[in-house]
Amino acid sequence: MGRSNTHGAPATVSAAPGGMHERVHTESHGAQSSRVSVNRPPIAGIKRRRWNRKTQRDAWVFVAFAAPNVLLILLFTYRPLITNIYYSTLDWTLGSASATAVGVGNYVEFFTSPDASNVLAVTAVFTITTVGGAMILGLLVALALNQKLKGRTFARAVVFAPYVLSGVGVGLVWLFIFDPTYGVLSWILRGVGQASPQWVNDPKLALVMVTIVYVWKNLGYCAVVYLAGLQSIPTQLMEAAALDGASNVRRFLSIVVPLLSPTTFFLLITSLLSSLQAFDIIRIMTPSGNGTSTLIFDSYLQAFGSYNRAGYSAAISVVLFVGLLVMTAVQLRFVERKVHYS
Amino acid sequence: MSISLTRKHFLGLAGATLGAAAMAACAGPSTDGAGTALKTLSPDEWSKVKPAASISFMSSHPGKSRDTEMKLIEAFQSANPGITVNLITGGSNYEEVAQKFQTAQAGSEVPDVVVASDVWWFRYAVSGAILPIDDLLKAVSVSTSDYSPGLIGDYKHANQQWAVPYARSTPLFYFNKDHFKAAGVPERAPATWEEFAEWAPGIKEANSSNSGYQNAYQYPAIAGYAGWTLQNVLWGQGGSWSKEWDITADSEASTAAMQWVQDSIVKHGWAGVSSKNAITDLQAGAVSATISSSADLAATLKAAKEANMRIGVGFLPGGSAASTQVCPTGGSGLVIASKTSPERQLAAAKFVTFMTNAQSTTALSAATGYLPVAEAADISSIVAHTPEFKTVVDQLKVTRTQDFARTFLPGGDQELAKAATKIMNEKADVKSTLTELRGTLEGIYNKDVKPKLKA
Repeated sequence: MGRSNTHGAPATVSAAPGGMHERVHTESHGAQSSRVSVNRPPIAGIKRRRWNRKTQRDAWVFVAFAAPNVLLILLFTYRPLITNIYYSTLDWTLGSASATAVGVGNYVEFFTSPDASNVLAVTAVFTITTVGGAMILGLLVALALNQKLKGRTFARAVVFAPYVLSGVGVGLVWLFIFDPTYGVLSWILRGVGQASPQWVNDPKLALVMVTIVYVWKNLGYCAVVYLAGLQSIPTQLMEAAALDGASNVRRFLSIVVPLLSPTTFFLLITSLLSSLQAFDIIRIMTPSGNGTSTLIFDSYLQAFGSYNRAGYSAAISVVLFVGLLVMTAVQLRFVERKVHYS
Repeated sequence: MSISLTRKHFLGLAGATLGAAAMAACAGPSTDGAGTALKTLSPDEWSKVKPAASISFMSSHPGKSRDTEMKLIEAFQSANPGITVNLITGGSNYEEVAQKFQTAQAGSEVPDVVVASDVWWFRYAVSGAILPIDDLLKAVSVSTSDYSPGLIGDYKHANQQWAVPYARSTPLFYFNKDHFKAAGVPERAPATWEEFAEWAPGIKEANSSNSGYQNAYQYPAIAGYAGWTLQNVLWGQGGSWSKEWDITADSEASTAAMQWVQDSIVKHGWAGVSSKNAITDLQAGAVSATISSSADLAATLKAAKEANMRIGVGFLPGGSAASTQVCPTGGSGLVIASKTSPERQLAAAKFVTFMTNAQSTTALSAATGYLPVAEAADISSIVAHTPEFKTVVDQLKVTRTQDFARTFLPGGDQELAKAATKIMNEKADVKSTLTELRGTLEGIYNKDVKPKLKA
């Protein structure tokens, strides 16, 4: 955002966009232009190409502190990423010592296969419903837990508990609950004369099933983060609005929701990333991916299921990676504009 | 000493590190088209090799056989004092073991002996992950004729032997005798599916007042091995998934058979599909009959006895076109990894032949319900204890080699399961689903199998 000036002349720094910018503009600088000018004295010796002894030592200290982490990130994040992109250009059977280079063949095959639209649709439905479900329910739970009720500390712990449980354990227990033959749910339904739906066999219901479990497991996280957000809303604002005769709904919509927007924004990014990478519950509850093949699960099935198509699987992973990158960039670029930082 | 670091050098260094990381990243499978040729020793050379002191055995403990495997390993170590065997749990089913074994190929350490199911050994053979064992068997003085011919013959490819049979099974027809009695039908497995279709509405009606009762028949869970057990219905009506490499999944007979399956669920309503495990559904009294592996025999009879339930077993029913030879074999064999030393491979050969000799196979059969794989196995004591086991052994005589589409096509079993899901759970049009299936299977054959067979 800032502009540097190599000649040491006054630099022009633009303010943050949106509300932040407006605030700076009106509160600090009255009727000045929207760009805030800061006068900086010229920095001595900035033109010198060779570093002096002090800056050199600083550089080494920086390297000493940063290098271990940079190295680990390069080794365990960027190296697999680059390797994966390379693998995505191969026709490679998992476990085989040789492969054939196919260029973008795997990508062409994925986007032209009938499965692609299905996988992308399942990914979209799963992501939107789990993110939306966990955030909306999380907010409602947070509103309830924000009230001065008896036993609310216990209730908060109970709501948050599923989030820290192992996804595998959660999946197994819920699978037992949903089992149409001897599951708890079928037993309850039989009690009222209803047959259990085929949660596992019906692909549509299988997606509903894993969505329910995923939302159940993650709404505690949203609730706790929203609760922290709710507690940071100044009470005087709410009281002032109440004195002005604003109804509960009006106060919620005009004060709580806008002031929670940084929290909502944070949750949106983190939940979206985690939903798109959801694996454990899907793997345990629907091992064959019947109706629940999201991008990441399809990528797993293609390589480690019975197909062993490691190159094709890598291509699907790259599609997911690019999707995540674009989505995060879009969020940072556009959605953040709507966020109010008080 | 003064170290001078310029900004240019610093950036250069950082760039070089990144570049090196990127280059290192590109190490993976070879793409020069040469591949790696398998090196095997001649019988003479094998006789000069000294077996390794330690080997590993990766298993899924088929049929809940971990304790039996441990006992057999102890017996092996007593008989071969210089060799210790490290038992590795590779997962809870054949697919999980396959996943670990194949992933291990990328590293430097692979398990020496691996349990490989009917759908996996061929792929290992084609990819070079396992060793042909003809000469190794000679080196440890074991002949293929020591094994049941129908079972050892399954592991032949390109005139070489790639595995020995280990935990081999057939599907069995399991039924609840009390449910059959309540309906007034004979307490035996039906001879044909047509006969069962006549009984089924009566069985369902007679038992529908039982709490939690669902269906007269439960098809095994699709996520399990649907393609395996459905071969029985297809063959009975003259159909098949394939005839050798010719995909016949949408032939007239195959379509009629799968239509019959769909009708039994949708139109007639006496059959259902298990969500997880059909044999557990049978044990829970929710269904009156199902098909499951003979590996479940011992555990099922034990559970039934504890629950005071009478469970019977019988041959798989035939169909309108064939009343016999309608039962596929299944289960797993033992393979020896190629990516180890001759010393370890020789020790592995001693181990696999020990695990499948007459005594060991009898012990495994008694504990589970798997077929005795050695010709010399004496099963009289097992039959005396579990009379139902005789059905397993007798049915072996009327088995049929599985369709290539299921066993030899990578992902074939998965595609069969997908089609079965559409037909059985989503009420999809049978003919068009099977035609689509044929296209997919032919695509896999042409892309992944045919080029490798010619090579």
